[in-house]
Amino acid sequence: MSEQIDIGVLSESFNEFLSAEWPREKAVAYPRSNAPYAADLWSEISALGWPALSVSEAMGGLGMGTQATAALHEALGYAAAPLPLLGTMLAVALVEAAGSDVQKEVLLSGLADGSTRACVSQPPDTPLNVDGQTLNGTVANVLDAPSASILLLRADRAGHVVWLAIPADAQGVSIERALLADTTRSIGSVTLKNVSLDSVHILVPKNPIALENELLRLAAIALAADALGGGNAVLVATIEYLKVREQFGRVIGSFQALKHRVADHKAALEAARGLVEFAAGMEGGTPHALLAALTAKQHVTRIAAEVARDCIQLHGGVGFTSEYVPHIYLKRAKLNEALFGTRSVLLDRIADMLEAA
Amino acid sequence: MSRTYDILGKVGNEQAFRQEMRDWLAEKAPKNWRQIWQNVRDSALKAEVVKWLTERRAVGLGTPHWPKEWGGPGLPFAYQIMVYEEFSRADAPELEMFGISLFHTPATLFEHGTQAQKDKYLTGITEGTDIWCQGFSEPGAGSDLASLRTSAVLQGDHYVINGQKIWSSGAYHADYCLLLARTDANVARKHDGISYFIMDMKTPGIEVRPINQITGEAHFAEIFMDDVKIPVANLIGAEGNGWNIAQSTLSTERGLLIFGEVERLARSFQLDGQDARDNWMRDVQFRREYAALYGELQSVRLMIKKLLIELEANPDKASPTLPTYIKVTWGPFLQRYTEFLLRAEGLQTQKWQPAIPGTSHSSRLRINDFLNSYGWTIAGGSNEIMRNIISERILGLPKG
Repeated sequence: MSEQIDIGVLSESFNEFLSAEWPREKAVAYPRSNAPYAADLWSEISALGWPALSVSEAMGGLGMGTQATAALHEALGYAAAPLPLLGTMLAVALVEAAGSDVQKEVLLSGLADGSTRACVSQPPDTPLNVDGQTLNGTVANVLDAPSASILLLRADRAGHVVWLAIPADAQGVSIERALLADTTRSIGSVTLKNVSLDSVHILVPKNPIALENELLRLAAIALAADALGGGNAVLVATIEYLKVREQFGRVIGSFQALKHRVADHKAALEAARGLVEFAAGMEGGTPHALLAALTAKQHVTRIAAEVARDCIQLHGGVGFTSEYVPHIYLKRAKLNEALFGTRSVLLDRIADMLEAA
Repeated sequence: MSRTYDILGKVGNEQAFRQEMRDWLAEKAPKNWRQIWQNVRDSALKAEVVKWLTERRAVGLGTPHWPKEWGGPGLPFAYQIMVYEEFSRADAPELEMFGISLFHTPATLFEHGTQAQKDKYLTGITEGTDIWCQGFSEPGAGSDLASLRTSAVLQGDHYVINGQKIWSSGAYHADYCLLLARTDANVARKHDGISYFIMDMKTPGIEVRPINQITGEAHFAEIFMDDVKIPVANLIGAEGNGWNIAQSTLSTERGLLIFGEVERLARSFQLDGQDARDNWMRDVQFRREYAALYGELQSVRLMIKKLLIELEANPDKASPTLPTYIKVTWGPFLQRYTEFLLRAEGLQTQKWQPAIPGTSHSSRLRINDFLNSYGWTIAGGSNEIMRNIISERILGLPKG
């Protein structure tokens, strides 16, 4: 099935749906709702099968790879949609790689049909300690935790890395949401107090380091794609504004000082696209694939954040108001830069990989 | 143990083609050419370049991107790309003063030249050693090229040319010039009334003066034309259509030519990092900057690859905007990277040496490469003009 779906067509369908169901007015109005995700929109995209995109065909999904998920995340970024799909997609990859047959059966059907939303703890978290029948500890700053019904947390069991799949409503689990500047996504700290642990909750990866690298790769591609979408959306909105706003008797888009900045942003985003497409087009599991993903993440999230930053300035006073859209994208862009490794952290890893090559 | 090489015979088998090229390059590519070329100029340099061109001709790779019809090997586009990749990989030198002859002249004549013009001039390139230059810019017409004022007046069977050209690379040694001149000054739109000529540089009335550049080299020259006679047969295309034909000439800079340059830079980028293992790669700040520049370099390479894939699939359907994005990204990247190396490597980069011809922008003489990087931000339409093109023609912002 996966070979029969054209990525371009898929991408168009994501964008078409979101531009109809999550137009700019909704994105601008959303911060006031203060909900961790847009529940109605989630139901609609679940019915369309979006969470099942990367679930293997054997488990009832569409079995699509990173090109498809990158297209999805680019569309989410373009619409600034409050949908916790990154946590869910990472959970799918984790369960597919490390889950037993039973665990796959139990967890993947809910993730695929959207009835379950997941979060996955991200390095550099301190792993929980598993040494008995109950679990205690805190995992700070987990993306998508406030909207999750299942929590995937890294843990240490007698010196070996395991992953725990804990229902969010299990006895002893509490999730404290921290409000973010970016209201389109949510983050929370997970506290576990005497949570009773069953073997069904424990996923044992064969190669934990390879799994962590793969999760990082997937997150990096998704965030780079999200940033690319957001950068393009905020630039489009800004160009529209420059074409109608008049000062000194002419539209401000005719001023060369503004035009040249816009041209640089456009060129930078076109260059950034190649990095996302290249990283998304590679098979996982190799150092090259990880290098491409981290390169895309550090570069594209940076470029998009710079574009969004300048788009507020290009709007002038209205850019500083919550009624106009640029701030939605600036906040989303800044969060993309910070998630799953800041630029400095990633650049250090990239330099290591370049030296090892 | 010289053997005969049949590179062109391997078309159809990528692996074998590349291997044959590598074997041939290992034996026949000039040795120690950087040291030798650094110390010769003018006719002595031309002799060195011609030696290498002759080796290339012997295996059919004198003009790798030309069709069979005009003396090229008629390689499928994918193989043309491989040829330039392998040249860069082997650090084989570029053909220096033959750039216009190999790229701009054919790009112009293939599409717009008469049969007689093609027969006469393309043969002079494939079989001879004709050097061509380009006479486009003028002191009053740089970025605003269409304002050019050099005049061409029809008198019987020839045009009489008067005016001045500038920034003409290699003009001092050129045999022919691709010349833009105004045949009609009374036009509503200044782009009209421009015509395109082939000018024999030995014609009386031509004076060429080299321009000393910030690099210490004198690649450029001014061309002064005082009642220079050009036969009517040397008009390319229709009178007044020069502006459109010039677009074909310039489009050649944005395909394989830039690809070869960028691949060459990618190779020296890697060497720079390796050579700095015990030096600035141990400095956390420089190391990060290098890793960030790697991302920028990759983004340029990937745009060019995308363009080449599109050109291969269908030249008429290739993105018209991608070349502009490549130009506006590549130049500033090159400038940032070469400037980074000055900061990373410190005082020793400031010692002056003569440039190394044939290395394009990757001589690895730090200060030279840095100074030379303006070649991509100013020449061929300055990046400020590129930004106007992006904002006005692509994004639809109004003219100021």
